[in-house]
Amino acid sequence: MSRRDTGERSGYAGQNYYDQPPLKPSPWDWTVSGYIYLAGMAGAAQTLALVGQQLDRGRYRGMVRNARYLASFNAVAGAVLLIIDLRTPHRWYNMMRIFRTTSPMSFGSYILTAFGGFSGLTAIGELLRGPGPAGRAAEALADIAQFGAAATGAGASTYTASVLSATSTPYWAAAPAHLGLAFGSSSVAVGAAALSLGERSAGRHETARRLDDVAALATAAHFVISRTAESRRRERGIPGDLKASREGAALEGAELVVAGLLPLAAYGINRFAGGRAPALSIIGSLVLIAGGFMLRHGTLKMGKRSAVHPRAQFRFAQPENLPPWERPGRNLRRNDFPGARSGRRRG
Amino acid sequence: MRNPPIEPGMHLDEGELTSGTHIEAGRQYGFFTDTTLCIGCKACEVACKEWNQLPAEEGELSGMSYDNTRALSATTWRHVAFVEQMGPERERPDAMEPFQSRWLMMSDVCKHCEPAPCLEACPTGAIFRTEFDTVVVQQDICNGCGYCVPACPFGVVDLDEGDGKAHKCTLCYDRLKGGMEPACSKVCPTDSIQFGELSDLDRRAHERVSNLRERGMEGAYLYGAPGTPGATGGLKRLNAFFLLLDRPEIYNLPSAPTRPADRIAPSLGAGLAAFVSLTALAAVLLAGKQEWRR
Repeated sequence: MSRRDTGERSGYAGQNYYDQPPLKPSPWDWTVSGYIYLAGMAGAAQTLALVGQQLDRGRYRGMVRNARYLASFNAVAGAVLLIIDLRTPHRWYNMMRIFRTTSPMSFGSYILTAFGGFSGLTAIGELLRGPGPAGRAAEALADIAQFGAAATGAGASTYTASVLSATSTPYWAAAPAHLGLAFGSSSVAVGAAALSLGERSAGRHETARRLDDVAALATAAHFVISRTAESRRRERGIPGDLKASREGAALEGAELVVAGLLPLAAYGINRFAGGRAPALSIIGSLVLIAGGFMLRHGTLKMGKRSAVHPRAQFRFAQPENLPPWERPGRNLRRNDFPGARSGRRRG
Repeated sequence: MRNPPIEPGMHLDEGELTSGTHIEAGRQYGFFTDTTLCIGCKACEVACKEWNQLPAEEGELSGMSYDNTRALSATTWRHVAFVEQMGPERERPDAMEPFQSRWLMMSDVCKHCEPAPCLEACPTGAIFRTEFDTVVVQQDICNGCGYCVPACPFGVVDLDEGDGKAHKCTLCYDRLKGGMEPACSKVCPTDSIQFGELSDLDRRAHERVSNLRERGMEGAYLYGAPGTPGATGGLKRLNAFFLLLDRPEIYNLPSAPTRPADRIAPSLGAGLAAFVSLTALAAVLLAGKQEWRR
């Protein structure tokens, strides 16, 4: 009865229930992918700002200021998007009713609150800083809050991968670690690109060039991660025809081109031209910022599609994909359906 | 013995009369749905809608055998699946096995999992485990975030766009509180749906499987009882479990569901690792000496 002898990577290609969706798709739409994106950008910007603040206050003054304002805006806008997405929005405060470590949405609400709070403090300090004792106190406050903003920013940029992975949606659940790596690297790329744009617009090309390097490095990392994630998902039974769908093409386009080769090429050419083509850097950053949203939204839509795709779910939810101690061979009962007549692969 | 003899002065509650189960807070209750006994009458669907005051579905024929309900939803908490199997060679029914000639019917319901992925995902605490070990959505707390919907490994929980809250089977929490067994199991004319204490149901279910196997139904197995398919991947047991005759997928059930919360650590850990190492590399890049000025 073992389905391993069919030579398939993941077992089930048999009959299902009239092709009915085996799962309910997540009800989330662009407001949630938009939030995930804004939180990632803001978290990375504040972390890079802390790095800049600690390295060279003078050189990164403008970058730090931009990061603080950007993060505060994104945190507020992200929270508004999340509340809009609720089907009973006037009960948004119930999110603060409990704290639950098994729910990324629960502990994530606290991460967002803390990040928004720290970012707000950095922005207020930024507004009030100046000469005189009050101005210096404000600056000191902002500099201290910057540590909190960076720490919670790391969480805000990455916990959203857990929000998606900790579901039963096959596309999100098939490669949790890869989704985390993808969100983490893409956040750094988009955050650096946003800060680079700010530097370019203020004519600080020296710091922008360094931020371009950071964005390019993170983009390259994301490119590699997205390819290994792809093969990992296939291994775990996510069927290839999901990628052939409209959502799949959009996501692949973002992974390969818009948030991949295009910005890499733009940054690369400018770098090898010795920084003499800053317009290319600006284009690269803009494309990367757009691509970052396409990645998040594409991931959201692919997940929703996989949930209503019987083959995706039934190939993923097979004993081969259980934790090692539960896999077939160790506990044959779990893989053995004595009454099965239709589980065999059909030609 | 389903109905104890009634004697004068004896204390009776309705649950004891109709299901032989005394209903008491602090004990664990659930459903054992024996699909070999299901005749597809849909009385459970109707009784559930009736008791819980759930609206009817739009009347439209699905073409899926006698199943026009299609799936569990925010307003359908019991769903009878119909699978007509005529055999790979399309044999005539008289050449087929006993027991329904492989006309499989199953009354599907929320599994009231232990641990329950919807409950573990719920950020408001609206979903809780009751004193009867069942899983219920508190309508006055739910804010319609929808996280329980993709969390459920069985596609049970659903958001109602009308009232903006998540809904699913409550295992008739209100009836249990009143000492009555759930509406669906009470109305089931063949006892395909059995309500009871979990220990009791487990024993009955294992007996039923060995009895069926002795009688030639080699294909009978349990789905969702501890140590069986359905109770996999961190799900210790399904408080509503089933006796099935074919692969779970035939009934629209996953062979090996998993507990979503187990995926938090790998995704968050890998995400933070990527973020922190890229930040460290960024520090190196940002620290470089000023090389050139434009």
